[in-house]
Formats: sequence, C-alpha cells, structure tokens
Amino acid sequence: MTANQTPTTRGESARARVRELMAHRESGVFLALVIFFVVMYTVSPIFRRPFNLTTILRQISVTSIVAMGQTLVIVSGAFDLSQGSIAGLAAMVTAKLWKNAGLDPPIAIIGGLGVGVLCGFLNGVLAARFRLHPIVMTLATGAVFLGVNFYITRGESIIGLPDGLTWLGRGLIGPVPALIVLMFIVAFLMHILLTRTLFGLRVRMIGGNLKASQDVGMNVERIRVGIFTLSGFLSALGGIVLLGRVGNALPQIGQGLLFPVVTAAIVGGTLLTGGVGSMAGTLIGAAIMGIARNSLVVLQLNIYLQDIVQGLLVVLALLIDQFRRGELNWRIILGRDR
Amino acid sequence: MSIEHAVEMRGISKRFGNVQALNRVDLELRRGELLGLVGDNAAGKSTLMKTLYGAVLPDAGEIFIEGQKAALRNPRDAQALGLAMIYQDLAVFNNLDVAANVFTGREYTRRVLGITFLDKKRMYNESEALLSRLRINISSPKLLVERMSGGQRQMVAVARAIGFDATILIMDEPTAALGVKEANTLLDLMSELRDQGISIILITHRISDVLSIGDRVMVLKGGERQGILNVEDSTLEDVEYLIVRGRPDGSG
Repeated sequence: MTANQTPTTRGESARARVRELMAHRESGVFLALVIFFVVMYTVSPIFRRPFNLTTILRQISVTSIVAMGQTLVIVSGAFDLSQGSIAGLAAMVTAKLWKNAGLDPPIAIIGGLGVGVLCGFLNGVLAARFRLHPIVMTLATGAVFLGVNFYITRGESIIGLPDGLTWLGRGLIGPVPALIVLMFIVAFLMHILLTRTLFGLRVRMIGGNLKASQDVGMNVERIRVGIFTLSGFLSALGGIVLLGRVGNALPQIGQGLLFPVVTAAIVGGTLLTGGVGSMAGTLIGAAIMGIARNSLVVLQLNIYLQDIVQGLLVVLALLIDQFRRGELNWRIILGRDR
Repeated sequence: MSIEHAVEMRGISKRFGNVQALNRVDLELRRGELLGLVGDNAAGKSTLMKTLYGAVLPDAGEIFIEGQKAALRNPRDAQALGLAMIYQDLAVFNNLDVAANVFTGREYTRRVLGITFLDKKRMYNESEALLSRLRINISSPKLLVERMSGGQRQMVAVARAIGFDATILIMDEPTAALGVKEANTLLDLMSELRDQGISIILITHRISDVLSIGDRVMVLKGGERQGILNVEDSTLEDVEYLIVRGRPDGSG
C-alpha cells in the first residue's frame, strides 16, 4: 500500500523531481542570468576583470538586502513603498546619534535599525489592524518618514563619518567587501525564513489565499505586522550600509532605492498578486539588473539608458509572468479573443 | 437518539427574509453510508448542509451527532465533532504543495532557538501515507496544487479533511466542474472512503452519480423534505419525479 511499493513509482518520483526543478520559477531567470553573464564575459574584457565583477556585487548588495524585505511583503500580497524613506531616515538617525548624541558607532547603528523596526511596525499596524490599503498607505507613511528625516536634519548632510559607521558599506572581511558578505547572509536567512519556518509558510498562505487563511484560524494581523516590521528592519539595514557606500550622511539617501528594489523582486519571479516568490529569485533579479547597468558602462553606452533598460526589463518580466499564468496569450494581444 | 446514525437533524427551519429556505426538515445519516442530497436550485440543499456545519444557524430544530445533541455555533464546533465540509471553492492553497495543503493549520513543527521550523519531512511522509491509504493517485506530496487538475484538487481537499480525523464528510457539488473521467475517479474515492467507515453526504445535481455509488438519496424541494429513497430500489425517474413534483401524496 505504500507509494514506494512498485518499481515504477520510483521512476515516476524521479521524473516528478525533474518536473519540479523545471517548474521552479527561478529556473528561467537563472538561465537568463547565466546567458547574460556568459555573453558579457565573452564580449567585454573589462567586464570580466575581477574588480569589475566585485563592483557589480557591491552595487547590487544594498538593493538586494532591501529587496529581500520587499519580496517577503509582496509574497504576502502587499507592497511596501516606504522602504526608501525608511532607509534614509534610519541612516540619518544613525549619523545623528553618533554626531549629536555622541553615541558609539555600533550603538548608533542599533538605534538606526530600531528606527527602521519602528517604522515597519507602524506600517504593519496600519495595514493589519486598521486595514489600510498597503500601496497607498506606505506611499503616505513614506512621505511622513521622509518628512521626519528632513525635519530633524533640516536637510543638512553630516560629513566625515567615522569608520565604525562606514565599515558595513566599505569595510572588508578578508579580501571580500563586508557588504557582499552581508548580502549573502541576509539572503540565506531570509530564504530559510520563507521556506523552512511556520512564519514563512503563513506569509505564503495569506498571499496565496487570504480567505482560506482566515478560515484556518491563523492570526493574519500578527503575521502582517511581522512582515512589515522585517521590511522596515531590512530597509534600515540597507540605509546604514549606504552610509558607508556614500561616505557621508546625505538626507536624500535611499531616494531612488525603491524602483530597483521592486524591479529585482519582479524580475526575480515574485508574483505581484502574492503567494509566490523566492529570495534566490530576487537575488538573481538584482544580479540581472546589476549586470545590465554595468554593461552600459563597460560597453561605453550612454549610462542614461539605464532607466530605460530597467523599466523595459520590468515590463518584460510582467509580460512573461502574465503568459506563464495563462492570463495572456497571442489571441488576446492580437485582439482576437472574442 | 439512535446510535446507528452519525447525524440526525430534527425539524430544521430557516428563514431568510421572506423566503422559508428550510421548513421542518429531518435528515438521518447512517453511520458509514453515502447519502445523496438532491433537489432543484433553491431547494435548500446547501442551506441544510451549512446548518449541519455550523455555518448557518437554524431558526428551529435540533442536531444530533453520534447520538449527542450538538450546539453548533460555527464550523469550528462542527470540525471538533468530526465533521468536514468541502465547499465548491475548495479553499485550497494553489501556491503551495500537496503536503502543505493537507496539513494546513496543524503543521508539524520543531522549535530551534525560539524559531518555529516546519518539520517538512514528517509532513511529506505522513501526507504520502495518507494519500496512499485513501488510494488517491497523486504522484508526490511535493507537487504544487496549481499544477493539478480540478479533480486532483478535490482529492487534496478530501485528504485534508480526512487528515483532520473527520468521520463525517459533506461535499458540495464536487463533480460539477469535472470531466467524466475525473468525476468517476472522485466518485471511486468517495465510495472507498465510505468503505473505510466515513459517513458522507453528497450534494449534487448529477442524480446518476448518487445512484451509482450512493446508499440512499434524499430529495428536497422548496425547503421541504420530499422523501428518502433506497438507491437499490429506485430509478432515475423515481428521484426526478420527487425533485420536480414533490411527495406522491400531493402535498409537495
């Protein structure tokens, strides 16, 4: 009676495993990444320099770290558009805690992360308890966080940051830049969280079928608050890493972060309607965007093409997704649907 | 109350505004039988079953489950008494795999450093065992439900209900959206479950389904019970007559 009894089921399960692998949403984007990488590696001698490859990784690290939080939020069926503002506010609070309050850099960093957690918690409560629509709500709280940032800094930069504050962004662990290590650690932990823990399963459940989740009797509110809080934390972490990348604390830090972050998640295969997405996919998405941007530089194309390329990639990713879900086909595009 | 009955409903009435959805309906489900519940649209089939499942509170009447009077205020009360109802919309998670669906809400976990990890291996093993015990033909508990057919999704929903130790299963039009072959596979599963001792109520428009696998069939019309027929001594015409004309004594 057991499923392994007959010899054919063994073969079937092997075949099922192959099908499973092929069905992984990451397989397609990973293939795209490999092809893109190989082409650039072959075509451009500048591209394949180790220094350039490290540069790409450094460039995508902040985007990736923040995008891990966004992925979690999108998988749960929501959006967090306040991430860039949280990153900026957390970075500036960190710098001010050091400069004005005279705190040691590590303590200042913990304070900055705490601000991110607080902002995220607020988002979570507004989304879960007050049932506000996450897109507009985080757009609004994002404006508030940005406003608070400019209010407390009066729009002024803080220059000459100590090593303790910039280490995350420019320090080295052995030969490897610290922020690259940090990116992979965050990606690993977030992957475990999403795929191996009860919390991660709950996130995928409420994103996949909210009504059924409520029927099961899980605490949807608490999970939502947890998701946004984590998103706030990772945004703050990204902002603090940016302090080191930039070298100075500029109030406008984090502005312009949101689009690449959402792009990485979407290109990486995160389903906009929720329920499906992976940290590996997001990392791959960020890498594709990073290589695309880098290609413009090493091929000496106009860097201002960057936004166009990025925007088109998102449109492409959305189109592919619609096709895969069967929401779109050539008959619809050609207007022959009825 | 008779102990041979898994369910007894006595004099169930329910009014929605001006509509008398149910009028003093009695229902007896014998232990281990498959009872078909048929009738035209708005005959009260779903309302009666939602009453049994605690999703609709009746205006009058009593419900006995395994001989005990039951106070059902919500579906959770009903589930605690061994009932499971599978609605047409199924409430499965298409984005998750079979095992996650089977164990929804009662996942096996392990706590490590204060973090609750899923015991995936155990859930895969147990859902595989459950599927094979129910003779459900799904090749792996790791398959994503979104890649499955409508019939397989029904079976996942059934496996989930049985996994929750349900002994009384209510299914609302499970074959309505299925092709012939899939519908037959599902009907086979239902008679297999019946043979394993599960008591089943099957709401359906397909009278032939009930006549092929059911033990008895109950007919509702205008919120009133028209009769219960033994499948063995009934024809399609007998059932259809009751559905359309009501009780032979002319009161229907």
